[in-house]
Amino acid sequence: MNKDAAYWIALAHLPRWGRLKINNLIIKFYHKNKLTPEDFFQLSVNDWKNNYDLEYKEIEDLEKAKSELANSAFLAESLLNEGYEIIPITSSEYSKTLKDNLKVAHAPALLYVKGNRQIMQEKSIAIVGSRNTSEISLRFTDNIAKLASKEYKVIVSGFAKGVDKQALDSAIKYKGQSIIVLPQGIMTFGSGYKKYYKQIIDGDVLVLSTFHPKAPWKVELAMARNPIIYGLAAEIYVAESSDKGGTWSGVIDGLRKNRKIFVRKPEESEKNANHLLIQKGAIPIDFNGKTIKDYVPVENKDLFSSMNEPMADYEKKIIDFLRNGEYAVKDIIKKFNLNISEKKLRDFLKSHKEVEILNKKPLRFTLKRNIEQQKRLFDQ
Amino acid sequence: MNRQEAENILKRTFDIDRFYNKQWGTIEKILKGERVLLIEKTGFGKSLCFQFPAIMFKGTTIIFSPLIALMRDQVKNLNSLGIAAKCINSEQTPEENSQIMSEAKEGKLKILYIAPERQENSEWIEATRQMSLSMVVVDEAHCISVWGHDFRPSFRRILNLVNLLPKGMPVLATTATATKKVEADIAQQMGGNLTIIRGNLMRENFRLFVIKVNSEDEKLIWLGKNLSKLPGSGILYTGTRVDTEIYSKWFEYLKISSIGYNAGLDPDSRIAIENGLMKNQWKCVISTNALGMGIDKPDIRFIIHTQIPQSPVHYYQEIGRAGRDGEPADIILFYNPEDRDLPEAFIEGGRPAIPKYEKVIEAVKSELLGERELMRRTNLKQTQIRVIKADLVEQKIIREVTIDRSKKFEYITGAPKLNPKAFEELRALKTADLEKMIGYVETTGSRMKYLCNFLGDSDNRFFKNCDNTGLQKLKVAITPDWTEKLQAYRENYFPELKVETKGSNLVNGVAASYYGVSNVGAAIHRSKYENGGDFPDFLLRFTLKAFRKKFGQEKFDMILYIPPTKSGELVKNFAIKISQVLKIPISHNLRKQRQTSEQKVFENSYLKADNVRDAFTYNNPTEIEDKSILLIDDIFDSGATVKEIGRYLINSGAKKIAPLVIAKTVGGDLT
Repeated sequence: MNKDAAYWIALAHLPRWGRLKINNLIIKFYHKNKLTPEDFFQLSVNDWKNNYDLEYKEIEDLEKAKSELANSAFLAESLLNEGYEIIPITSSEYSKTLKDNLKVAHAPALLYVKGNRQIMQEKSIAIVGSRNTSEISLRFTDNIAKLASKEYKVIVSGFAKGVDKQALDSAIKYKGQSIIVLPQGIMTFGSGYKKYYKQIIDGDVLVLSTFHPKAPWKVELAMARNPIIYGLAAEIYVAESSDKGGTWSGVIDGLRKNRKIFVRKPEESEKNANHLLIQKGAIPIDFNGKTIKDYVPVENKDLFSSMNEPMADYEKKIIDFLRNGEYAVKDIIKKFNLNISEKKLRDFLKSHKEVEILNKKPLRFTLKRNIEQQKRLFDQ
Repeated sequence: MNRQEAENILKRTFDIDRFYNKQWGTIEKILKGERVLLIEKTGFGKSLCFQFPAIMFKGTTIIFSPLIALMRDQVKNLNSLGIAAKCINSEQTPEENSQIMSEAKEGKLKILYIAPERQENSEWIEATRQMSLSMVVVDEAHCISVWGHDFRPSFRRILNLVNLLPKGMPVLATTATATKKVEADIAQQMGGNLTIIRGNLMRENFRLFVIKVNSEDEKLIWLGKNLSKLPGSGILYTGTRVDTEIYSKWFEYLKISSIGYNAGLDPDSRIAIENGLMKNQWKCVISTNALGMGIDKPDIRFIIHTQIPQSPVHYYQEIGRAGRDGEPADIILFYNPEDRDLPEAFIEGGRPAIPKYEKVIEAVKSELLGERELMRRTNLKQTQIRVIKADLVEQKIIREVTIDRSKKFEYITGAPKLNPKAFEELRALKTADLEKMIGYVETTGSRMKYLCNFLGDSDNRFFKNCDNTGLQKLKVAITPDWTEKLQAYRENYFPELKVETKGSNLVNGVAASYYGVSNVGAAIHRSKYENGGDFPDFLLRFTLKAFRKKFGQEKFDMILYIPPTKSGELVKNFAIKISQVLKIPISHNLRKQRQTSEQKVFENSYLKADNVRDAFTYNNPTEIEDKSILLIDDIFDSGATVKEIGRYLINSGAKKIAPLVIAKTVGGDLT
């Protein structure tokens, strides 16, 4: 399969094609017409047009990709030499769980991996949750990882702070196996390989990415990675979620796709959106992952969505507000009648990825223009 | 494009009237996007086979070549023809290389030469993503094969690259020296759809001689007498770096214009010597085989080997650099039956023992390590680590990865066990090749034919171009005047101890002799390890002579000696005698403040430096202030101890420190 690496890289990253379109093309030439990617790229433009119902723009994309195959070959050589591997969707080594869960519309055409590929064929669970999370969620994560490792189930996680990191560390602690799904290109995980060297060479950890191998970490990639985590797992355990952000939208998306999702039933004192998810169809479980049969729905007014994050209640509103113009912290506090200090709000705004700081006196804040589309997901 | 059209362009661009048939045959296929392996002798015009298509293509042609000198020459030639060509190599600054990559990305270059090792560089890989690539050329393609005489692991990567390149992308691999076995290996590795074009390898203009001798002296004397009489200028190849020094000092002594060259020189000196060679600045350049590969000098008139090469392929490759202009060139090989020891040692000792491999595997299994860390963990020499590393990569047990810009070795999950049989096979092949090389000395037939047969040439013509087929045999005649001259030279030649660094007060010193080259080593060994008593007086005489030659009337304020690791007064007594003769006061105040191990226990300079770090102290440091110090020891190896003491004394205010020793070992661990 490696011989075709340059072709697969070219196919998988056809700009703006979307996975469905790419997969449909692969199905057509590979499964129906029994062509290798090399054969396919050797076809004439006429063949592409007539036999593959491709439009002018698409053919142009393919021609461009074809002209860059040599470039992809240089990249592929470097990739393979460093011990990364590529697994195209046509390969028997491609995770069946992922294919079944994401189907032709969402399954990535190419996986980049390093480590023990066999892990992808094992039974797997994902443990997900927020970056800023409570102690109990971390203990829950640890416990679920322990139970899963005992049953030789692989733990899939996303290498974010909080629950993700706990899931990975616990899997290692209990000598289980893990898949790390990267929010970046496989070749940019430098120090991670140093840290998990022993686990990787011992075959206990597989690092996986679906992005261009050299792509640096980005919010978009972190978001796009979530469905891959859910897709790679047969069961999904939610430690903690707020009513927005990556975990929330991931679970909602999963429920829409009829996935079985287990959510930890929170203690009464906890403030999170776990109850809300359960009401939307997730299955309530206890600390040991057992389904709670006698779950009593909580009244709507008691459904807390805020988490242990500063400003969580108002984040969304403030960010929305910033779209209208430039504001100093004073204006914002006044507008929303907030009960916090100026410093706290300023720190929050400074640390927020979507907020642009304007160096005026007093400091003004506004929204970065180019990342508006990510705003609803800013938990990541 | 037909041949006529192509030759019109050829005339306009290269000022050459026409292609040879084999050149055109190759070019035609390349222009059609095919893959070709071209085996042709030096001087045939292989480079035209890629340079011409390169200027026909729209994008940039990448040429992988291991030879920096060749890159430089070809780029110069192409530029003088108005063709946009550049090279990226380690002798240029990173800024220069980056600039060239930018030009390539902007499509400003037709031809880009690059060393195969560059494939390990992430900036380069990044840059290739944005280039318009039209063809890939693998020069010196025999380096792909472990069965070749010059296998280079970095070529493995180039081969992998070639196999990943899309169909329709032209690839040309070229070499002047490939046996049938190597040819088949290259072809198999490059995959199907490869056309092999092989020319005949005969070089009619060579005049091949073998001079059988019984000692090193005979070689030195023959050369002393005859080198000046050979027509033109040329190259003398020796077996070791030390020999380049000994021969070049001998010629210097005889006032024959010559210069020594080896791979250990800094790039500027190397370039200066290569340029001087091009301009016939010296009668002779004395070198290890590091020099000359790829130097495009048409009129090298002689090539002499004082040491028999490892195989006929090595020999053919090395003499191939002579007489590219087709005019006669003298090719002389000295052979003393003892000379086979060096290549034999190389073949036998070239591979570290199996436990050392296991040690490396174990270390890499437990931790991600760089070369330096690995040397510390395993106490192995750098040269050995590199051999082991290359073998383990070859056997797919470890791989080299780049983590945060530094190179590390990584164990490959599920790797196979070490297979020592592969080494045995290679060793057997190399031994057989060495026998074939000695067969060249012993043959009574045509020597040219002998070489060509070995290389798988099918040409059946007969040539009268050697001392077995018509040329007068060369013989050595020893006369007393020359024996005396050689003796006088020997007694006046002392190896330098290179310890100087910029801005330091530690200056280069001198040794009376090389350890193991003369009777000096044996004498030291008797005193040190066989209870032979004090170092004999002739060592004192030699050492004083070396001192006078190197330092003349330079003034020293005091003598210090290096305190021994094990009890023993040898060096102390020796230093006292020197102090008495030179009338320089001696101090016994340099002491060890902690126990160290004997330096010879450590295989590499990192561990040697660790062993002696902060180990020395001086009882009354004010004595040292502003003093010129002569520092005495018996044997100088890596220099780690001298450097450590030098550092300490400088910190205590010493003005100058110069080492003086009886013997310098040959080699050192980092060469």
